[in-house]
Amino acid sequence: MSNTSSGAASFLKTSVKQPYIWAIAALVLLLIINLIKDPTYLGISVNAVTGDLSGNLIDILRASAPIMMIAVGMTLVIATRGIDLSVGSVMAVSGAVSMEFMHDAGDGSLGSALMAIALALGISAFLGLINGVLVSIVGLQPFITTLIMMLAGRGLAKVITSGQNTSASNEFFRWIANGTVLGFPVVFVIGAVIVALVALLVRRSALGLMIESIGINPKAARMAGIRPVGLLIFVYILSAVLAGVAGIFSTASVMTVEVAKTGFSSEMDAILAVVIGGTSLAGGKFSLTGSVIGALLIATLDKTIVFLAIPSSATPAFKAIVIVAICLLQSQRVRALFSQRRARTSTPRKEAVSA
Amino acid sequence: MFKTPRFRSIAGFALVGAVALGLGACSAGGGDDASGDGGDLTTIGFVAVGPEGGWRTANEKNIQDSFSEENGFELKYAPATNGDQNSQITAFTSFIDEDVDAILLSATEATGWESILERAKEAEIPVVLLDRGIEPNDTELYTSHIAPDNVGISASAAEWANEQFPDGANYVVLEGPPGLSVVNDRNKGWDETVADNLTKLESQSANWSTEEAKSVFETILKANNNDVQLVFAQNDEMGLGAALAVEEAGLKPGTDVKIITIDGTKAALEALAAGRLSFVAEYNPLFGDTAIDVVKSALAGETVESDIVVPSVTFDSPEAATTALPDRQY
Repeated sequence: MSNTSSGAASFLKTSVKQPYIWAIAALVLLLIINLIKDPTYLGISVNAVTGDLSGNLIDILRASAPIMMIAVGMTLVIATRGIDLSVGSVMAVSGAVSMEFMHDAGDGSLGSALMAIALALGISAFLGLINGVLVSIVGLQPFITTLIMMLAGRGLAKVITSGQNTSASNEFFRWIANGTVLGFPVVFVIGAVIVALVALLVRRSALGLMIESIGINPKAARMAGIRPVGLLIFVYILSAVLAGVAGIFSTASVMTVEVAKTGFSSEMDAILAVVIGGTSLAGGKFSLTGSVIGALLIATLDKTIVFLAIPSSATPAFKAIVIVAICLLQSQRVRALFSQRRARTSTPRKEAVSA
Repeated sequence: MFKTPRFRSIAGFALVGAVALGLGACSAGGGDDASGDGGDLTTIGFVAVGPEGGWRTANEKNIQDSFSEENGFELKYAPATNGDQNSQITAFTSFIDEDVDAILLSATEATGWESILERAKEAEIPVVLLDRGIEPNDTELYTSHIAPDNVGISASAAEWANEQFPDGANYVVLEGPPGLSVVNDRNKGWDETVADNLTKLESQSANWSTEEAKSVFETILKANNNDVQLVFAQNDEMGLGAALAVEEAGLKPGTDVKIITIDGTKAALEALAAGRLSFVAEYNPLFGDTAIDVVKSALAGETVESDIVVPSVTFDSPEAATTALPDRQY
């Protein structure tokens, strides 16, 4: 996202050096495979009945929006050397709160839709605050803290809806996931705007640098006068709020919250998107552009599996193979194997040491 | 600096909490044993699936209501954590250790139950399988399996499809997660009965979920240029998701694409009454009374039939749905 201001040519130039270039390559490859199966795959047409743009690309954009939200939040958390396993459960809580509220309100008005969104995001932020406080002030490990929140959140969602899948009808809320702006899916537009805002916030201020510095060396960061507590609380709240947005996206698409299914194993999708985008799980430098591309790739992969009619029992394996291939391509060692073998003195010496 | 003592105190609280919980569990277990000895209430452990959808909620509520204290039972309800088999095995083990009088099991996965069922058998605790069966299906390991007939139900759905499309059609199957006995049985009944001139375009898992089914089916419609006339959704939720995808593609569910679902929850019957679904096969969840009879005779030492089929009906028209709706319990 930091590259958006520069021209397209220089963007291409810098992109080639980025680790997510392989994700872009995989994305293009998947689209080509789909094109081979059906030459009209990339075609976008106007639906005669509904008057909206329709096409596989539109579907991919729509499906990628929730993953994009949680992936961006996850990127910042991972940059601080943390991890947020609770995003899927926070999605369920956010969906449960909004559906339950609109179900009880029952009037389908714009007011109740806005109120439902405010409530959902408020509760998500509160869950993020708990995560942040436990990690930064109490000093619990992020993995454990958010694992607890993952279980507790799903439980909370079940309590809110008394264990029932709850539906509601509200045209305004439905529009978020199913409507279009100038033919484009609203959900993707909202998602892109949010990503741009987050990118501006972290890249146009010192925030991004401070987050990276915590991840690279917390001690040195503290000595340099960066207070980690506030920053950590900020990233966990941001991650949870973005997960809340994702929850609204995915429940609004069917206007039902499925307490056991909404957001289930979404944390895995988010972590994968981050890793595919080239952000190291060890923290430090992060790439929001990479994570957005990762999210697009995962959405494309999911859609491709269905489009190619791969049998359902083989889908996890297919998904795994693609992702492993990308991770391998990104790995320094594997890339070194592929590049020309220069007679470097360091390589044999290293082997000698390890042997 | 201040981090350590504070962390310690929190860790201390957590430890105290854990111990208190543990003690609580112990005392509860002891209490139940006492009541068991008194012969007042029969203790039943229910290893359940937990929230999954409308059908499951109705089924587990019915079991909980049937095994009430008025009927002379004390039911311990242990739902799985997010459909995880491990959490079910843990619950099952603790029921054996508590020495309950009987165990009801709705397994989230079909396989991997042999050793634990063997243990229950050694402890002479009768195990009744509710709804979900186990694989390999060794009838020595459990007392009885009570369930509606999945194979028969999906076969009746396929018969309806054969009648509706005598000249053939393209259809899509939306399955539950691969590996479940329910999914295998519903596939089996359908595949054995469906006519040859109906062409299966694709069979995809949508994990019982409305949201996934919508996303999967919108792509299937695009992949086949909307040339799909029939959807066989293996539960109501996925069928409703497919209906949403059909509407979004600008087609009319019921006219352009006919949707078959299994389960017969209220939401599905409402959709059938409104013409958005075309055929709903009930998978009757209300068999608590049958389960009570089986448990009672098993505890009395009588022989019980190892496979009990719960009768179910089908709804093939909006009118049938409208008539059935007022009395629908789930």
